Amino acid sequence: MKAFTRNCSEKIMTQSSLHETLRIGLLAGAVAAAGILFDNAYHIQVLVFIGINTILTLGLNLLMGYTGQISLGHAAFYGIGAYTSAILTVHFQFSPWLALVPSLGLAVLVALIVGIPTLKLSGYYLAMGTLGFGMIVFIVFRELDFWTGGSSGLAGIPSLKIGPVDLTSGRNFYYLVWGAVLGTLVVSRRLIESRVGRALRSIHGSEHAAMAIGVNTQAYKLQVFVFSAFLAALAGFLYAHCIGFISPGSFDFMASVRMVTMVVIGGMASIWGALLGASLLTLLPEWLHAFAEYEMIVYGLILMLVMIFLPQGLLRGLLDIYERSRNA
Amino acid sequence: MKDPEMHDRDREDGEAPILRICGASKAFGGVQALEDVSFEVSQGMILGMIGPNGAGKTTLFNLISGLYPPDAGRIFFNEAEIQRLPTHQRVRMGIARTFQNLALFENMNVLENVMVGQHVRTRCGFWGAIARTPGVRREEAACRESALALLDMVGLADQALKPSADLPFGWQRLLEISRALASRPRVLLLDEPASGLNALETGRLGDLILAIRNQGITIMLVEHDMSLTMSVSDRIIVLDQGRVLASGTPEEIQTHSAVRTAYLGEHCEQR
Repeated sequence: MKAFTRNCSEKIMTQSSLHETLRIGLLAGAVAAAGILFDNAYHIQVLVFIGINTILTLGLNLLMGYTGQISLGHAAFYGIGAYTSAILTVHFQFSPWLALVPSLGLAVLVALIVGIPTLKLSGYYLAMGTLGFGMIVFIVFRELDFWTGGSSGLAGIPSLKIGPVDLTSGRNFYYLVWGAVLGTLVVSRRLIESRVGRALRSIHGSEHAAMAIGVNTQAYKLQVFVFSAFLAALAGFLYAHCIGFISPGSFDFMASVRMVTMVVIGGMASIWGALLGASLLTLLPEWLHAFAEYEMIVYGLILMLVMIFLPQGLLRGLLDIYERSRNA
Repeated sequence: MKDPEMHDRDREDGEAPILRICGASKAFGGVQALEDVSFEVSQGMILGMIGPNGAGKTTLFNLISGLYPPDAGRIFFNEAEIQRLPTHQRVRMGIARTFQNLALFENMNVLENVMVGQHVRTRCGFWGAIARTPGVRREEAACRESALALLDMVGLADQALKPSADLPFGWQRLLEISRALASRPRVLLLDEPASGLNALETGRLGDLILAIRNQGITIMLVEHDMSLTMSVSDRIIVLDQGRVLASGTPEEIQTHSAVRTAYLGEHCEQR
């Protein structure tokens, strides 16, 4: 019997890890190929934004999709990452890489301070709590104008350099961002496929049952909240140094809703869904310039349709349809 | 006929009780769910708890496992006072439970449900998971193996990769029990494990409960199925309206007049 279980165990393990390594390898190949094939600066720019949004979505997906905790204020952490680095580099002449540490650190600190009381809440209350937090941070960005430039924004954020290599050029920045995306993917994957990931998913399944099997639910909720804030800040840092100009509008309530939409559309609790959701919602406004005024309505409509018809998200939904058509 | 003093009985074994409830009370709003309940559970026994609906059996389980604190009274596990400890620490100490209305993680497959049950017996943390060191891999493999062994014990090993929600109801009950066992408990609280099972499955459950006890695990069993409770329990406590109405061996309980009146059916009143 011992041999049997060991055999089974090894089979299960090698199967799942092989598939994942293969997929991540394929994605890395696709990223490299796209970097070579795409020549148009605009296309590269769009790919950069997809990458930044994927990092955001992966982080929020760990919190929402896997742990089942809704945050409607995640743009705040995105903004903290962007503004901290921007302020330090523009006003205090920090080198951007040096500014990375305090901008991630501040996001982590704020997440700890906000998370300890709010994560005692659940369901609607947590959503309301984070919503309020997001609004406060947005107002701080707008009103602290001697540092943030107020609603007209903060310009002249320096670009990133690695040694002599200037990353201002779209393509170099593209590789940097997608390197970060691949790193985030691997890290998320490892987290989820571990003891920690199972504990997080158990909280989503049922918080009471999670406690009853010995999971310290408060501690895990806080950990994943802080980690997703960390990833949001990383995305914010990349965003600020990519376009060199930030304004509060990029970090308002609508930005938080957009992040939630990316998670839901791609598929809750799906890493590859996060990639799909981020890609679709980055491309959609580019394709639908005509709808710019009605962005909110279009997002709302998409969210409703997906929730009604594909509650598992677009990725799972499409796979199900494919499988059904093959079986039929 | 009279309640035998449990305390004296346990002392005869010369062993300290593994679980001791002293004057536990709990009210919800105006309803007194438990009132001054005291009893002891000695190591290695199967203690049945019976009583009509609303007698406070599940409330008692929730107090022991720590889902909420008692209003008054103290709970000792292995002579350590635990009534203020959070649930996860009690699981770590060795108290595991199942739920009346199944609380499987439907977002995980069968194997993962048992693996997550080993949470308190494994150590990999946030950074370990990200670094995935050889030590972490070894722990993960060992965790997977012992989960499969537990599934094998309840006969679910070949279902390991199915979503837990896809299992038939009876199997889900077994899965929940193996998840609880995965934490390597010293005391296992089973809340109506036979509800929803057919006669055959209930019979097998009885065998499983005895097998678990034979591994040295103390069991508290809340169950409405009288023949199961009577056949596996070493002792039985009868709760009624939040109080201990009687306690004793199954034979003593079956002949106890107050129990017959309160619980086993009104027709007894005519005698």
